[in-house]
Amino acid sequence: MKKRRNIVLLALIFMLGLYFGYNYMYQDHRDIKTENAFKSMPATDLVNIFKANASPEELNKTIEVSGTVSEIDGNAITLDNAVQCSFDAAVEGISVNDKVTVKGRCIGYDDLFEIVKIDQSNLIK
Amino acid sequence: MKKFILTLLCIVSISITLSAQQKFSTKTGTINFEASVPSFEEVKANNENVSAILKDDGTFASLALMKGFRFKVALMEEHFNENYAESSKFPKTTFRGKINDFDMSQISEVEKEFTVSGTVNMHGTDKDIEVPVMIKKDGATLILTTYFVLKPGDFNIEIPKVVSSKIAEEINVSATYLLN
Repeated sequence: MKKRRNIVLLALIFMLGLYFGYNYMYQDHRDIKTENAFKSMPATDLVNIFKANASPEELNKTIEVSGTVSEIDGNAITLDNAVQCSFDAAVEGISVNDKVTVKGRCIGYDDLFEIVKIDQSNLIK
Repeated sequence: MKKFILTLLCIVSISITLSAQQKFSTKTGTINFEASVPSFEEVKANNENVSAILKDDGTFASLALMKGFRFKVALMEEHFNENYAESSKFPKTTFRGKINDFDMSQISEVEKEFTVSGTVNMHGTDKDIEVPVMIKKDGATLILTTYFVLKPGDFNIEIPKVVSSKIAEEINVSATYLLN
């Protein structure tokens, strides 16, 4: 009787391990849309932070940037020639010279174009 | 007076030719890489925000932000960034080089193969490469595609023994740029 209980207990532990192991292995991606912004600032401020420091604390954080749309290119818009925000789908309802605020994940500084790049963007307003 | 006007015309036409150097660029190029081993979890990532500039003398530069590589499995993306690419310390990978014998007049709607040689800088380490690149024109857009193999060892990226059987030694990289 006791032996049987031990087997059941072992099986239970094994299954629990499997469950947590699986959840760890296949945990969800960050959901930038629902994350609170780490900081909120004008696009030109963000680019200056990266010009001064290649790996500032803003890197890989969810940032809210605001500015005037200077370029639209497929899934991406550029604000004030300073920050490029890429969306997961084609950008609709935005045109050049619009003032917008965008939330997304800051992926770093591109010194070819001297812009900061943000991906997984969402339009705030 | 006639002479003066002629000289002026000459100067103007020379300066026009000098400034006519054309530049093609994109901020939304794509790089894919795959290091999958059969029957193990797919090791594959995609970056759709790669920058590139091509000048009409064949000079080519490209920059990919490492944090911009997206994996299907979140944990794999985390390990890539923290353990292998160390993307906080080395946020970008660059390529600087030249397309050999590049001539704008040879570019047409039909794909033509060139070789591009230059230096890849990844994980803070330089590596010279020479790879084929296909170029064609679609309207005013230049379409560049390339496919090549890189080895993590060449960039001081160590794959621990525990996972080395699940990650291929040779990483297949493909890149596409639509340059305007």
